[in-house]
Amino acid sequence: MIARTESSARWKRAFVILGAAVAAYALLAPLTSLDAVQSAGVPLLADRLWFRLATIIAMFVVMATAWNIIGGITGYAAFGNVAFFGIGAYTTGMLIAKAKWPFLLSLPLAPVLSSAFAALIGIPLLRLRGHYFAVASLGVGVAVGELVQNIDYAGQPLFGGATGLFLPIDAIDNRGLFFFYLMCGAAAISIAVTWLVLRSRFGYGLIAIRENEDAAAVIGVNTTAYKVAAFALAAALTGLAGGIFSQWNVFINQENSFPIEYNVQMILMALLGGTGTIFGPAAGAVLLQLLIQFLGGTLPISFEIPFVSETVRPILAQVILGLLLVMVVIFVPRGVIDFFGGRSRLSLSSLRRSLRDTSL
Amino acid sequence: MADVAQLVILGLLAGGVYVAVGVGFGLVWGVLNIVNLAHGALVIVGGYLTWQLFTDLHLDPFLTLPVNAVALFVLGYALQRGVINRIIRAPLLFTFLLTFGLNLVIVNVLLLIFGSDFRSVTPAYSGEGLELGSVVIPYVRLISLAVAILLAASLAFILNRTRIGLAINAIAADRDAAQLVGIDLRHAYGVTYGLGAACAGVAGGLIAMIQAITPTAGEPYTLQAFVVVILGGLGRVSATVVGGLAFGLVEAFGQSLPGSGSVFANAIAFGLMVVVLVTRPQGIMGRLR
Repeated sequence: MIARTESSARWKRAFVILGAAVAAYALLAPLTSLDAVQSAGVPLLADRLWFRLATIIAMFVVMATAWNIIGGITGYAAFGNVAFFGIGAYTTGMLIAKAKWPFLLSLPLAPVLSSAFAALIGIPLLRLRGHYFAVASLGVGVAVGELVQNIDYAGQPLFGGATGLFLPIDAIDNRGLFFFYLMCGAAAISIAVTWLVLRSRFGYGLIAIRENEDAAAVIGVNTTAYKVAAFALAAALTGLAGGIFSQWNVFINQENSFPIEYNVQMILMALLGGTGTIFGPAAGAVLLQLLIQFLGGTLPISFEIPFVSETVRPILAQVILGLLLVMVVIFVPRGVIDFFGGRSRLSLSSLRRSLRDTSL
Repeated sequence: MADVAQLVILGLLAGGVYVAVGVGFGLVWGVLNIVNLAHGALVIVGGYLTWQLFTDLHLDPFLTLPVNAVALFVLGYALQRGVINRIIRAPLLFTFLLTFGLNLVIVNVLLLIFGSDFRSVTPAYSGEGLELGSVVIPYVRLISLAVAILLAASLAFILNRTRIGLAINAIAADRDAAQLVGIDLRHAYGVTYGLGAACAGVAGGLIAMIQAITPTAGEPYTLQAFVVVILGGLGRVSATVVGGLAFGLVEAFGQSLPGSGSVFANAIAFGLMVVVLVTRPQGIMGRLR
């Protein structure tokens, strides 16, 4: 027993060190692309492609961590969080493109508007439980995207319509680097917020709601206010990611701001890493996003699938992603992270036990 | 007034499709407590079956519907026994994600097989219709409505008059008690999902005659099926029929509003659903359980 605890503690330490090393490399390597560093003769450790990828990963770290606040800690299966991403993107996008605001001034309004919207729809939606909340939030995600694309004002599409919205390109030196660190900052904020929430009275209230909402109400948790606050907090962080995305990508439309698949990807990331934990969703985001890019063939390290043409490949990647989703849900419902220093060890018998717990 | 009559007729005809899509979804939800996000994908599998049989064998599309039902029943039974049964006791998020994963797999396999081109089923009589004054009712739509009602009636018959149907009802009432009296849960779950899939297959055949289909065309139907079931009330086939027709009417009137159009279909559907959920959570026809 003691030996096992010791070995699991060792695993945990090894895992933390590995994670820290990877994070440090990912954060510092892009600096080598600066002209000053280049001229000093330091080898280039990350090119533009890696930048783009790393920024996307950081974006998903934000979204998965934000989803964790409402989905993992509060236990409300929100399926429409992409609406907040889109609202954030369009808030910043509209302010920059139409009102000609500077980026750094319009960015703070993205989380403000997203969380205001979340609070507004959260008051009716969070009265629903279980399936009802899940699908109603999914519907909101779809409907908001549709409205943004199709609302006309005086015969003109209000938000750029089907063609989308073009933002002026900002004149910043080392643009890729700037947005990479901005997105990493957002990721750090979202992880810090999760940490604060989990240590606060608020967080304990949310966990009480997850475990038993009626009991939580009985012991004096104002469940409605707590749930709406958690939803709005998740929306603010997701909206922040959307706001950064809009200026980074320079072009936004319904397809890249309200992609339905993001809803499921962020949940799968949180699930893969372990819901309700601080770093789990972030780790899941890195893993899954790397896998998605790898399968899609956009990573520098790539592979050839025999008998598969380039056009079929993205479709096949989706099939593999779907199968992976099915496998994760069936075999490791508590997240992969659980095996590293968590309660259970990766073994055939633990997989079998997890299967027996849930099957008919 | 003629406009209103026309809208009512159009709405009811459109409602037929929603009834067909909704009954299978409502059955799976009511009995198995699964919101089946793969329902729309199963619908489109049915649509492609009808298209394939119509194009290759020149079968009348309405005659392909029984084939769809049998094929989808087998597929659904296999999915439930092989995959979904394994996590049926897990929290709802997991069944949700699982069916989404199945949806992803089915849709992309269809993309691999059929590509993303639009396919439509156009029998010789597809352009003809019944003239009622100023209103023309396409035959295809009219027969589709009849088929949808027939489908709902058959499902109600199976559930209320056959042995396996009674077993399914027993499970819906109390799973553990049903197991105690000797019902084979795994088999009965498989049959329930199979029946739901069979309904989806028939609905897909009808949809292929009404609109051009692509592998991704089923996704809106999953969401609409959910709204239909909420609207009618969970747990009875007849309630879903009312919900489907009501949904068709709401959609027809919603799209006729000035400044609106088919682009707002989802927004209307979900606005309606949230209103119903907040004001009358048991649905129009539902009983509080």
